[in-house]
Amino acid sequence: MGKKITIDPITRIEGHLKIKVEIENGKVKNAWSSGTMARGFEAMLIGKDPRDAPFVTSRFCGVCYSVHQITSVRALDVAFGAKVPWGGTLLRNLVMGAQYIYDHLIHFYQLAALDYIDIMAIAKYKGKDKDLLAIKDKIVGLVKAKDTYPLTPRYEPDDFTVKDPEIVITAVKHYIDALKVHAQARNMGAIWGGRTPHYQNIVVGGVTSYPDINQVARFRTMLDEQARFINEVYIPDVLLFGTGPLWPLAEMGVGGGHYNYLSYGAFERDPAGKELVFPAGVIIGLDPANIKVDPFDHKKVTESVKYAWYKESKPVHPYDGEQVFNLEKKEAYSFVKAPRYDGKSMEVGPLARMLVAKNPTLLDLVGKGAKPGAVARHAARAVETKLVVDACYNWLDQLLTEMTKPGFKIHDTAHWDPPEAGMGAGFYEAPRGALGHWVKIKNKKIENYQCVVPSTWNASPRDEKGVRGQYEEALIGAPVPDPENPINVVRIIRSFDPCLACAIHIIDPQTNEIRKFVIE
Amino acid sequence: MKKEVTLSKKLESELEFHGVNRRDFLKYCAAMAAVLGLSEFEFTTKVAHALEAASKKPAVIWLEGQDCAGCSISFTQILNPPAASIILDKISLRYHETVMASAGHLAEKVYHDTVKEGGYVLIVEGSVPSADDRFCMVGGRPFRAIVEEAAKKAAGIIAVGACATYGGIPAATPSKGIGLDKALPGKAVINLPTCPVHPDHLAGTVLYFLTTGKVPPLDKIGRPVMYFRESVHDNCRRRSHFDAGRFLKDWNDPKQKEWCLFQKGCKGPMASSDCPIRRWNEGINFCIDCGAPCQGCSEPGFYAGMTPLYTAESEISKRIWAMREAGLIPRKES
Repeated sequence: MGKKITIDPITRIEGHLKIKVEIENGKVKNAWSSGTMARGFEAMLIGKDPRDAPFVTSRFCGVCYSVHQITSVRALDVAFGAKVPWGGTLLRNLVMGAQYIYDHLIHFYQLAALDYIDIMAIAKYKGKDKDLLAIKDKIVGLVKAKDTYPLTPRYEPDDFTVKDPEIVITAVKHYIDALKVHAQARNMGAIWGGRTPHYQNIVVGGVTSYPDINQVARFRTMLDEQARFINEVYIPDVLLFGTGPLWPLAEMGVGGGHYNYLSYGAFERDPAGKELVFPAGVIIGLDPANIKVDPFDHKKVTESVKYAWYKESKPVHPYDGEQVFNLEKKEAYSFVKAPRYDGKSMEVGPLARMLVAKNPTLLDLVGKGAKPGAVARHAARAVETKLVVDACYNWLDQLLTEMTKPGFKIHDTAHWDPPEAGMGAGFYEAPRGALGHWVKIKNKKIENYQCVVPSTWNASPRDEKGVRGQYEEALIGAPVPDPENPINVVRIIRSFDPCLACAIHIIDPQTNEIRKFVIE
Repeated sequence: MKKEVTLSKKLESELEFHGVNRRDFLKYCAAMAAVLGLSEFEFTTKVAHALEAASKKPAVIWLEGQDCAGCSISFTQILNPPAASIILDKISLRYHETVMASAGHLAEKVYHDTVKEGGYVLIVEGSVPSADDRFCMVGGRPFRAIVEEAAKKAAGIIAVGACATYGGIPAATPSKGIGLDKALPGKAVINLPTCPVHPDHLAGTVLYFLTTGKVPPLDKIGRPVMYFRESVHDNCRRRSHFDAGRFLKDWNDPKQKEWCLFQKGCKGPMASSDCPIRRWNEGINFCIDCGAPCQGCSEPGFYAGMTPLYTAESEISKRIWAMREAGLIPRKES
C-alpha cells in the first residue's frame, strides 16, 4: 500500500478540482480525480425560451468564456432551422479566434508557467538589461518585505525546474507582458463581441453586431500585435522550455495517459464548411509513426455514472441518459460523469486536435522523441494558436469582401422565433477540447438540455469496467520522489488546462426528478 | 541631550489620514513611555516601526464559490494601473485559486494563517449554494462555512459579480445559489454586481478603500453610488429612438443599426450602471453597442427576473412598456 495524498484545491485552473494520488516507490501508482462544485444550469434551462441558452451557458465558465455560447447557438441553429449567413459565421469565428488566442496565452503564462520555473532564481540575475533589472528589483523588494504572495508559497523546485536566472527572469517578464497582451486579445474580441468575459453578440441565426470597415481595420491592427507576441515570444518560449530544460520530461512522456484522442472539429474556412482549421477525427491507441485517424461518429459516445454522484444506471448515449442526483452514493467520488467513445477513455484538447490534424510542427517534435504528454500538450497549444491567428487574417479578408457585397447579411432573421418543436446538436472545439450541446424544444420552450464538455472527457472518474479517466491515467507513473512536494502531479493536471465548472451536470436534488433525454 | 525621533514622511501622512498630527503622536508616546518606564526614544521608535509595518500592503483573500472565474478574468482586464502592479505592488494577494502559485495544503495554510491574522480585505466571487452544502466544497469544507469564517475577521468585504452579490444565474438553479446579502445577513458588504464585475468598478472600489480607508458611499442595495447612480437607459445613445418608437427588428438592416433594442429584450430602463458611459474593454464597446440588449445584470432580479432575455415578453419588459406609455420614463429632451 503506497502513501495516499490529496491535493485540494488544485489551483490555477477554472473550477473546483480535487486530485488524490497513491504513491509507491516515488511514483504515482493510482489516482482519483474529483469535481467538487455543482450548480445545475441544464436542469434550470428546462422550460425557458431556447434563446436564453447561449447567454446562460456561456456562464458555465468565464475563463473559457463564450465557448458554450457558440456551441449552444450551433445546437439552436439546427433546432430552429436557421441558416447562418457567411458574414455571421465569419464574425463568430473572428470573436472566437480572439478568445482562443487569449485563452492559450493565459493558460501558458498565468496558469501553467509557475510550475516550471524557480522564481527565486531571479535574485541571481547578473545581466544588465534594464527591463529585467526592474523585475529583479521588484521581486527582490517583495522578498525583502517578506511578502511574495501570490508567487509563494509554492511546491519546492525539483530536478525539472528551470533555475537558470537568465531564463527565469525572461520568463517572468513574459508572464507580466502576457497579462497585457491577452487583455488586448480580449479587447480585440470585444470589437464585435461587445465585452469580455462573455460576448453578447452571438445569437441563434448569426450575430447582432453589424460591422463597419473601421472595426475591420482596428481588429487587424490589434491582431498584428497578437501575431508578433505569439511568433516572437510565446512559440519561442514553449520551444525553449520544451526542447531545453523540459526535454527529459517530454522524452519520458510524463502525463501521457491512454493515448486515445478525439476532436469534433471547428472553425470553417469556407461557407460550405468543407475545410476546417481543426479537422474532426478519432485516434485510438496512438502510434506516432503511423497515425490512424477515424471519422467521428457521435453515436459511439456513452456516459457512465458508476463513480459519480448520480443514481445507478447503465452507460448510455447522452441523448438517452436517465439521470438522478444521488449525493449519498458510497462508491462515487465526483460530480463529473464518465464519457467514453466506443467504450474508450479519451483525451480532448490541443494535443488531440494537432494529432488528429497530423500537424507537421507537432509531429516533428514527436519524431525527435517527445512522447505525447504534459510537455507535448503545451507545444500543441502554441502551435495551434498560430493556426488561429493565420485563420483570423483570412477571415478578415473574407469579411471585407462580404461586407461590400449588396445584401450583406449577418443574421437569419426569418428563423429568429423559436419553432413549436425541434431538436439539435451543436459541436465545437473549445480551447480545452471537444464540446457538445444537445437541445430539445417543445411548445417553443426548452424541453431538455444536455452538454458533454471537454473537462468531462478529461477529468472523468472511472467507468463500469474500472477504466480510469484521462487525468487519472495520465498521472500513473509520474515521478513524485517527495510526497510532500507533488509538483509533477499539478504539472500534469494543469497541462490539460482544466476547466471544472462546466464539467458538472446535476439533476434537481429537491424533486429527485428523472430527466429523460431521448433523440429520435 | 534628548534624542530626536524622526518619523518617516510615509508614517506622517498615514497618521494624518487617521486624524493624528505629529505633535499629538509624540506626546502620546512620551506619556506611554513614562507609564511603562521606557525611554521616550526607545518607545517612540518601536511604535513608529510597528505602525509602518502595519501600513504595509493590505492582505486580500479572494474566494471563489459557485462561480465561473469570469470576474477573476475581468479583474485581469485592469490595464491602468496594470493588474500585475495591483497584484504585486498595491495588495498582498494571499489566496486566489485562479492566480496563486501554491495548491492543496500549502494554499489552505496561507488561507488559515491570513484568517487568523485578521484585518484583510475579503473579495467573494460566486454564489453560496443554499440547497445543500455539498454543491460547493473547497479543501473538503463547505464553501458556506469558509465564507462565514472569512467574513468574521475581514476589515472589508466586497462581493464581485452578479452571483456573489444577489445570487445571479445560480439563484435559478437546483443548487439555489445565494449572494452575500443572504449568506452573510447583517454584514456590511460592498456589492459590485454585473456579470462579470466591471474591472473599473473593482479597481476603483479597492483603490478608494486603500486610499481613504473608507467604504465608498453605497446605494440601498450596497452598490457604490459612483458607478450605479444612473440607469443604463439614461445614458444610452439609442434613447431618442426609444422615445420615438423606432425599435430594431432586423440586425441585417444598416438603417436600423442604431435603433432601440427594446423589442430584442433590452432592460436598460430598469438597470442601473454606468456601462454606456464607462463602456467595457477600455472603452472599446459594451453590450448595446454590439447590437445586443442590456440584460439587467446589475440588478438583484438577474437572471430569473429577466427571462425571456431576447423578447419584450418578460414581466420586466412589460413593466418598462407600461411605464413608457404612462410617461414615467423621462424623454431625452426633458
